[in-house]
Amino acid sequence: MSDETTDDLLIAEVVSAHRPPPKGGMLRYHPAWHDLSPEGRAKAHEVARALRAAEAALDPRGLSTTAHCVLERIRGASR
Amino acid sequence: MTEPIVDHDALQPAIARGDTEAFASWLSFGEPILRRGLTSFAARVDVEAVLQEGLLRLWQVAPKFVPDGQPNGFLRLGLRITRNLAISETRRFHGRSEDVTHAEHEPPDDSAEDARSDPMLRTVIATCAEKLPDSPKRALLARCESRGSDDDKALAERLGMRHNTFLQNFTRARKLLADCLKGNGIALPGELG
Repeated sequence: MSDETTDDLLIAEVVSAHRPPPKGGMLRYHPAWHDLSPEGRAKAHEVARALRAAEAALDPRGLSTTAHCVLERIRGASR
Repeated sequence: MTEPIVDHDALQPAIARGDTEAFASWLSFGEPILRRGLTSFAARVDVEAVLQEGLLRLWQVAPKFVPDGQPNGFLRLGLRITRNLAISETRRFHGRSEDVTHAEHEPPDDSAEDARSDPMLRTVIATCAEKLPDSPKRALLARCESRGSDDDKALAERLGMRHNTFLQNFTRARKLLADCLKGNGIALPGELG
């Protein structure tokens, strides 16, 4: 369980689809993104691409967690 | 042999009328392409935040979309919106640079990433996920089931794990899943392991 590097754990945080909604017109990044090196951020992007494909494959409607997040924000805004 | 182009613009009129189910169908096709289109910005902006905001803006401007006569014009509009947002974010954080100027002129790649629609791929991924050890599997599935609505601290608490333990389990899950998929000759877009 101790094989994971600090970058691995930061990447694990950043590849989540959870993001706070924009505030005052400004996008809000995942806090762990700021702690990653440029190489770590690029790696997180590639991991996220693969993860979203896997999530969509496991989802009955073929949607990733990103797609579900966006749809929830749209539905939340129209309530 | 070249794959025939499937035009997903057929969904746009329903999207413009506010049909979220039509947008969901479009997202299963368009989201991975828009994400891939932000690769050159990945070291400088939080692609996930940019992509989600770009998709919301695409939904908002859908009623004003005018087809250009070519297939998948709505996708190209999405590529422009997300890339322009990424450029704005790059300038906000880093100022104007040669990299941004270069990225502005890169032609967007609108070719499909259709791995999600492959039934065999779906079966292999589900089988590999099922084979994961219990704690990594719970961490991976918790993320999927929450659909991005909960942060990791909430998910960890729900699973009775410490936050750091949750992240370690999630990391183990993705690496084991990558090994299993590789063993089955499956390559996802990006890099899971």
